[in-house]
Amino acid sequence: MTIRLETERLVADDVDYDQLILRDRVHGSLYTDPAIFDKEMRDIYENQWVFVAHESEIKEPGDYVRRRIGTQPLIVARGKDLKVRVLLNRCTHRANMLCQSDAGNATLFRCSFHGWTFSNDGRLQGVSFRGGYEQELSELRAELGLAEAAQVGTYGGFVFANLTGDAGDLEEYLGNAKGAIDRLVQLSPEGGIDLSAGWMKHDNNANWKVVNEVQVDGYHPLFVHESLYKAVKPAKVDYSSDELRVAVRDLGGGHSEVDYSREYQNQDREFIWFSSIPRTRVPNYVEAMEALHGPEKTHEILVDGPPHTFIWPNLFLAEMQVMFVEPLAVERTIQYTAPIKLLGAEEMSARIIRQTEGAMGPAGFLIADDAEMGERNQIGLHAQEPEWVLFARGFESETVEERGITSYDRTSETSQRGMWQHYRTLMTEKTND
Amino acid sequence: MTDTRTETASVGTVPAELVDYMVHEARLADENRYEEWESLWADDGIYWIPTGDDKDPETQVSFVFDNRHRIGSRIAQLRSGRRHSQTPPSKMRRQLANFEVLSEDGDVIEVAANFSLFEHRYATTIWAGRYLYLLRRTADGITLVKKTVLLINNEGPIKTIAFIL
Ligand code: FES
Ligand SMILES: [Fe+2]
Repeated sequence: MTIRLETERLVADDVDYDQLILRDRVHGSLYTDPAIFDKEMRDIYENQWVFVAHESEIKEPGDYVRRRIGTQPLIVARGKDLKVRVLLNRCTHRANMLCQSDAGNATLFRCSFHGWTFSNDGRLQGVSFRGGYEQELSELRAELGLAEAAQVGTYGGFVFANLTGDAGDLEEYLGNAKGAIDRLVQLSPEGGIDLSAGWMKHDNNANWKVVNEVQVDGYHPLFVHESLYKAVKPAKVDYSSDELRVAVRDLGGGHSEVDYSREYQNQDREFIWFSSIPRTRVPNYVEAMEALHGPEKTHEILVDGPPHTFIWPNLFLAEMQVMFVEPLAVERTIQYTAPIKLLGAEEMSARIIRQTEGAMGPAGFLIADDAEMGERNQIGLHAQEPEWVLFARGFESETVEERGITSYDRTSETSQRGMWQHYRTLMTEKTND
Repeated sequence: MTDTRTETASVGTVPAELVDYMVHEARLADENRYEEWESLWADDGIYWIPTGDDKDPETQVSFVFDNRHRIGSRIAQLRSGRRHSQTPPSKMRRQLANFEVLSEDGDVIEVAANFSLFEHRYATTIWAGRYLYLLRRTADGITLVKKTVLLINNEGPIKTIAFIL
């Protein structure tokens, strides 16, 4: 069944987004106005590609996970034809939530309200007491399958969906962020990652854009994470040094990143991104990588490490973690975090899990404080003066590189400007339809 | 993995000494008495908050899986004065009930209690679940070998837990 967006349900079409999003600042109401949030769900989440799951979560026929696109509940299921479908989690009879488990394996979903059954490819199978309808069962079945995302696409194992079918080609959408997925997958000697260690889910009283902005912010670590660097262990790079070669980059299309590779290359050391472990800790991994790539290329890969890249609008490749957000309401966002297992690098898995717990999630040494900043931001935004949120740092340090607008002053607000300029495009495109 | 559902018969009444210990640990946590709380731990201590009731911490991510070293780091961060997510610190009171001895093996005793915790910071958050403790009797008294926190909402999204849970 196709998905039709009710354009009438929204009022924020009348807002002039060109006045709220300037080159160097954005208006505070963009983080607090529920009508704007509703329009975002339509024009950004429902009309665009959105990350919904990773293939490793639904490996076998019948595997499914429960997710959301915007506020709409979904089932991401692999059919017996091995195809991944993104189905709306709503019974086509009287709208009961069809699937209650977060994850599982099922060939059939049975609605608990009146017992209708649907196969995991979305087709209506059985209607209880079927004689009660004017139509034949076959007609009902043809008409009342589950609604399904119009487009589902996979890149590097990451599954993206678009509800309406207007999002175009996935790889084109990923654009300059595609290389970040390649860079991650390349760390595995088998060319793949696995998220079976599961997700931490963190409930944030903050707008989804606040949660995203900090992920590619090179300005905050010395302040927000001072307690970690001073009391526990120094940061992996010296954020206070003027010599630091860490870049922030607007990749276009709302995607952006903090790029440590130049700094790592300068130091020419492997595994700075992984607690600077020596090669001898992961001999089988290094051997497998060298067998595949040769010694020189392997050295390069192990120096450069994983991406720190945000993929618009909801996915964040957080080095050895995958994170994504689900916006629940204008001031409420769920942040998911999973450790990455590199296939063929079993020696690293346990350490990655421990590293994830140390840094990330609701109790993490880093993220608990980032979340605190997000919640304080949200409170601050309710003060109506000044009206603007400033993203004015570092214009002069920017250059245009092949992969995007880049600043080697990591305190530049280049990444956030990239998100906002793209946001303005999406939010104005549909207004005059 | 911890089997949370075994109906292990209580080994008699829970000795008052063990109940006192659990209540004492809870009080130190409630009052953010970081150094005293840290000093409860054995050298092989594990502080664990899983993301579900039947998780294997070796292969699955937990909210917290601290060895003794990381417990020390956690406390050092809290004491730095710059742990923003605990500045100001949470005000807390927790109730423990339904005490049980689950097993006893030489010097090591496994005890359990249900808990509810009222935590206030900006707003009041209610936390609830079950505590499982592994305690060891030593010449210097009881030490804490393992504390497992089974939150009732550990599979769903949870709020920040930068305090001692
Ligand atoms: S609502 Fe699903 S069968 Fe009635
Ligand atoms: Fe941060």
